[in-house]
Amino acid sequence: MNARISIAAGMAIVVSICICALLAPYLAPYVPTHSSIDFLKGPSATHWFGTDELGRDTLSRVIYGARTSLAVGAGAALVSVLIGAPAGLAAGYLGGLFDAVAVPVIDLFIALPGLVLALIITVMVGPSLLNLVLVLGFVMWPTVARLVRGQTLAVREMAFIEAAVAAGGSSTWIIRRHVWPNIMRIVAAQFSLTVSFAIITSASLSFLGLGIPPPTPDWGSMVRTGYDFIGVNPAMSFAPGVAIAVTVLGFYLMGNAIK
Amino acid sequence: MLTLIIRRLLLAIPTILVLTVLLFFSVSTLLGTPSSMMLGEDASPQAIAELNALYGFDRPVTVQYVDWLHKALTGDLGRSFTTRDPVANSIASALPVTLELAFLAIGLAVLAAIVLNSLPSAQRIVRPLVVALNLAGIAMPNFVIGIVLIFVFSVNLGWLPSTGWVPWSAGIGTHLEHLILPVVTLSAYYFGAFSLVYRAELADAYTKLYIQTARAKGVSETGVAFRHALPNAVLPVITFAGLSMGQLVGGAVVTETVFSMPGIGRLFVGSIAGRDYPVMLAVGMLVVVGVVVMNLIADILYRVVNPQIRLG
Repeated sequence: MNARISIAAGMAIVVSICICALLAPYLAPYVPTHSSIDFLKGPSATHWFGTDELGRDTLSRVIYGARTSLAVGAGAALVSVLIGAPAGLAAGYLGGLFDAVAVPVIDLFIALPGLVLALIITVMVGPSLLNLVLVLGFVMWPTVARLVRGQTLAVREMAFIEAAVAAGGSSTWIIRRHVWPNIMRIVAAQFSLTVSFAIITSASLSFLGLGIPPPTPDWGSMVRTGYDFIGVNPAMSFAPGVAIAVTVLGFYLMGNAIK
Repeated sequence: MLTLIIRRLLLAIPTILVLTVLLFFSVSTLLGTPSSMMLGEDASPQAIAELNALYGFDRPVTVQYVDWLHKALTGDLGRSFTTRDPVANSIASALPVTLELAFLAIGLAVLAAIVLNSLPSAQRIVRPLVVALNLAGIAMPNFVIGIVLIFVFSVNLGWLPSTGWVPWSAGIGTHLEHLILPVVTLSAYYFGAFSLVYRAELADAYTKLYIQTARAKGVSETGVAFRHALPNAVLPVITFAGLSMGQLVGGAVVTETVFSMPGIGRLFVGSIAGRDYPVMLAVGMLVVVGVVVMNLIADILYRVVNPQIRLG
């Protein structure tokens, strides 16, 4: 796909989701945790996406759910960059023993199924928004580290690094001043991709029953509950399902095109 | 070559050991002793201590680990806290379900990616399909794909059973019928991913002179695609498939939950919900060992097939 269209589409989606999250109280027609006697109603003029088993408005819950998804996604991506970038920079630039230890660890973590790892850690620390951010960030840092290491290895061979070394620059100074600015764009792209993976993984955790505890509106848990009523009110699980897919697609398109 | 394999094997053993140690220690220290959980919050300290002594939870974690590992190596994985069944039995009955699902899914993804993208006459339809399916596979979590398929093919059309699993003994037809939706669900993402890799390799192969030679001697476009381009482009797909098996386990956990299949994934999710230590540990270890072994096989196979990187 054309990179420009891809970036534009991705950004449009991401910006809309951010607006949804920020302006949720103004956009949502109902209070997302407010139950009523109109339960399991299909889409209508008063409830565009229908209502759930407790009579809560699905549209309002989907809009508020954007907050949860964005918080988890962006938080986890931030944690993974905060661990992965320094590790990758150090492994790639310093090399030697650090690299020899870091590379097998990174490879191993990438090979392990992220979802299973996240499941095990989440059950140990307990599900909460903060824990979810930390767990997903921890599960995803090796991907960032491997990318940063590869980029650093390439940049290290450039003439300007040699010049900086000749000028007597310390390793930390060179990494900060010369290596990091050259790989920042790639890291930004990876950040966006990591947000999309984090949202998918957190939704899967919620679906398996280990997500954000209720009654916080969360797309993954909404799909799970809606699945039980799929024959009665399919909109109940489709609306949050589409929300997940669209959000993930937005971050993916943006990240992939920048890369 | 043999030394390489031996070296890889020797490296795999400590890797597995380190991972099992990490898993065991984190599970035991972070979750506390299982006894307090088994007896409930109001249990007297004395009752907890008795149960701890019975199960050996009062011993140091290192001793427990060595004991667990020793027993595990002889095939004794302990008993489930909730069902009282030997864990080894539960795994033995759940593993074939997951393996069948996983191998069918990865096989379908590889086969569909190779055949659909090779057909020269179908590319006008296949190309947009690949792009669309690739994006859908990336954007939609497994459970959403599964639910959409269930809604369309079971709830609305009534063509296929929505959930459940039947053994081979109940008839091959019904057995496979129950597998179609889960396999398609699990393979969707991989079909897109493999297609992208294969198309890139194929484009590269088509620039080579042997393609020109084949065309010059009158081989049909289909023959060129399957007999000359395919063998030269297929290798990275196979390696990628091998390396994907680890991540596929995560997808299998979700897929089994959606379709209520009695596999390893559901066993694992159930053990997590019930804080069933022995099952959790055993399945966790199984996944770790499986992933390390899978990567080892993919690595060795890749080196066997591609002599260019036959290093060390």
